[in-house]
Amino acid sequence: MNSMLTEPTAAVKIDSLLAPYWAEIVEIVPEAEGIVTIWLRFLDQTLQERYSFAAGQFNMLYLPGYGEAAISISSDPQRPELIGHTIRFVGNVTRAVSRLQIGDTIGVRGPFGTAWPLETYQGRDIVIAAGGIGLASLRPVIYQILNQRDLYGRVVLLYGARTPSDLLYSTEFSTWEDNQVEVLTTVDRADESWLGQVGVVPMLFYRLRLDTDSTVVFSCGPEIMMRFVVFEGLARRIPHHRIYLSLERNMKCGQGFCGHCQYGPFFICKDGPVYSFDQLEPFFNLEDF
Amino acid sequence: MNAQQELIAALQSIPWFQDLSDQHFDLICSITHLVNVDQDTTIFSEGDKEENLYIVLEGRVAVELFSSVQGKIRIYTAEPLDVIGWSTLTPVIRQRTASARAVLDSRLAAVDGRELRKLCDQDYELGYIIMRRIANVIAARLMITRLQLLDLYAHPQGD
Amino acid sequence: MHTHKVIELMTEMNLTIGSKVSIQKSELNHLITLLRDFGYETIGPKIHNQAISYAVVEQLEDLPQGYSSEQERGYYRLHKGNHNRYFGAAPGSDSWKKFLFPPRSTLFSAERENGGWNETINREENKKFAFMGVRPCDLSAINIQDRVFIREDYVDPIYSTRRAKALIIVVNCLHPSSTCFCTSMGSGPQATSGFDLSLTELEDVFLVEIGSDAGIALVQQIEWAPASANYLQIASKKMEKSMQAVTRKIDDPQSVPEMLLANLDHPHWDEVGSRCLSCTNCTLACPTCFCWEVEDSTNLAGNRTQRTRAWDSCFNLSYAAQAGGNIRPTTRSRYRQWLTHKMGTWVEQFGESGCVGCGRCIVWCPAKIDITEEVNSLREVTA
Repeated sequence: MNSMLTEPTAAVKIDSLLAPYWAEIVEIVPEAEGIVTIWLRFLDQTLQERYSFAAGQFNMLYLPGYGEAAISISSDPQRPELIGHTIRFVGNVTRAVSRLQIGDTIGVRGPFGTAWPLETYQGRDIVIAAGGIGLASLRPVIYQILNQRDLYGRVVLLYGARTPSDLLYSTEFSTWEDNQVEVLTTVDRADESWLGQVGVVPMLFYRLRLDTDSTVVFSCGPEIMMRFVVFEGLARRIPHHRIYLSLERNMKCGQGFCGHCQYGPFFICKDGPVYSFDQLEPFFNLEDF
Repeated sequence: MNAQQELIAALQSIPWFQDLSDQHFDLICSITHLVNVDQDTTIFSEGDKEENLYIVLEGRVAVELFSSVQGKIRIYTAEPLDVIGWSTLTPVIRQRTASARAVLDSRLAAVDGRELRKLCDQDYELGYIIMRRIANVIAARLMITRLQLLDLYAHPQGD
Repeated sequence: MHTHKVIELMTEMNLTIGSKVSIQKSELNHLITLLRDFGYETIGPKIHNQAISYAVVEQLEDLPQGYSSEQERGYYRLHKGNHNRYFGAAPGSDSWKKFLFPPRSTLFSAERENGGWNETINREENKKFAFMGVRPCDLSAINIQDRVFIREDYVDPIYSTRRAKALIIVVNCLHPSSTCFCTSMGSGPQATSGFDLSLTELEDVFLVEIGSDAGIALVQQIEWAPASANYLQIASKKMEKSMQAVTRKIDDPQSVPEMLLANLDHPHWDEVGSRCLSCTNCTLACPTCFCWEVEDSTNLAGNRTQRTRAWDSCFNLSYAAQAGGNIRPTTRSRYRQWLTHKMGTWVEQFGESGCVGCGRCIVWCPAKIDITEEVNSLREVTA
């Protein structure tokens, strides 16, 4: 699927496995508790200039002594001079990343994986359904749409997080809304000071009247959330092949060699992470697969 | 527009009322009135006997539970065309299981629950339409609650 | 006398790819010497810890002449047979995988320098392997790993460097083991292409088929005779017998991938999951299993680290672990992953099955799990 969208891999050394290119941390932006965006620039100027990525792809970030973690690129594909990665401190590697500072060096390999098929759906309505840090993989989609807003029809972001303070990129919402991106947010729990919605992402479909003949769904978030997004999408007769999901597995090499991220016939690191639901359907409800 | 015309116009905007026969629609109209509430107004409280079924027309209404330790916990918010106070129609529960409060200035259609139950008992055809709709509301609420229960965005334990 | 005949016939016969000749068994020693002179590390079957393993062979005498092996589920024994063949014993748990895809490889090291890191790539040493005695099933396994590691999008530098230089001398199987099922997987008992030389070991000579230019060059430098009609007939009869001797079968092998994917909820997964120990023996012994793990090891000062890759197994608990939980927490789910990948989804990934029917997973399973039986059981319709 969309293999043409997989950009030439700019920062992958073909003559040695897993060897990184080094990049400097230029900026660290706190996004929510335990989540930051780190902005990187390659030390090698030539590489920095030829590096490009597509919305939905990820990099392997390497911290010597700790290892690598697959992190979605969360910045604008048309502005690759600084590469943004929104990171949640959950694993061995990402917790070590939390101790890094501006000016520190980090290893990068990538970009890897498939992209959200935006080009295929010019002129269509696009519903972006994101949960938690899943928005990191979809923010480049929003940027790309904003760069060429008239190429797309109605654009709706459905976004859910645990609490209001866990909503990522919330300072950008008004800019997105100013550019005709409808932003519907919801949280799992809130106190009285929250004037927004309380509930879950699939619920936000109830709040929409969609032109389902035109609608494409892009979803990224916890797998269970995506299952219900699919459910709501299919209930509105959006066809299987127009619902796209980004899957997460324990990617290690990014090149379909090490085997860890297998999901049925797929190596999620190279055939994914973005799949249309018709590809995933045979395995989607299997336990422990 | 007088109050009656306003009510009819409001109820006609609700999709599931559009499927009702004229006779059923008139019956529902006769037991419904419109309510405007300001932001922060309590519409009903946990434990109340008050028996209206509400359909949100404008604004946003929160469903809340009170905990002596955590204060008011917001469980759910209802948006336009959403139903709150469904427990009014269940056969056993005769008191509010949660509180409802306007998060924003809101406008609601308040259907008299006792009268609605009576109508449903008298006319099974209408009763079926109403109960099917309520089942749908409860099913959706249950799905949402389950997903919230899973606390999907909680910080994972361990590596 | 043999030499004389060669000189006589050389003018009549040009060696080409596909030529079949015979050589005296002692000429294999000559071949080993030649290969070593060319800088090859000559690897062949040797007895180690009472089993055949693959190691450096410097001369003909290093080969386990006269040995046979006996294989059953969870059983492997070597014993002296009543023959003088050099390649009479079937492989043990070892395969050629460990040479092309080493169990452990240091990839690079990185050192702290001026606040940043400076890495030193561990370049692949110039190793040239000559594999002697590659069974047809194991040759298929190498071809399968070629598709895994040498692809259009990415190439594994370690594997591809070693593979490009490797010379392969096949030995066709005239005495298959009871655990072999190569005929089901279409990988044996005879190799038809993909080798430099292929040997068929008869009582007094090796029949040699030439499979490459390198093979031609080698044979040109040893003493050979055109394969006589008699030898060819004997070999053909023995091969026919060998084919019949492979009695272990997988029913309707072509339909296995589809059958497995249609039975992902089959109750038999629970049954086999309760017997499997998740010990990883099958994946380590399997000549096609390719999964690997990567780890960093750091000095105490934290300013120097080494990145190493090592064989992994989908039976390891850590294999599918990620932040927040484990994708395959049960042995049932891990066995299902292994089998559906090996014999099912592999086809979609790489265009052919990942199983060659060598039987190692059957022999080296401490729980005596038999992959052929599991596949056949999964096919049974449940009530």
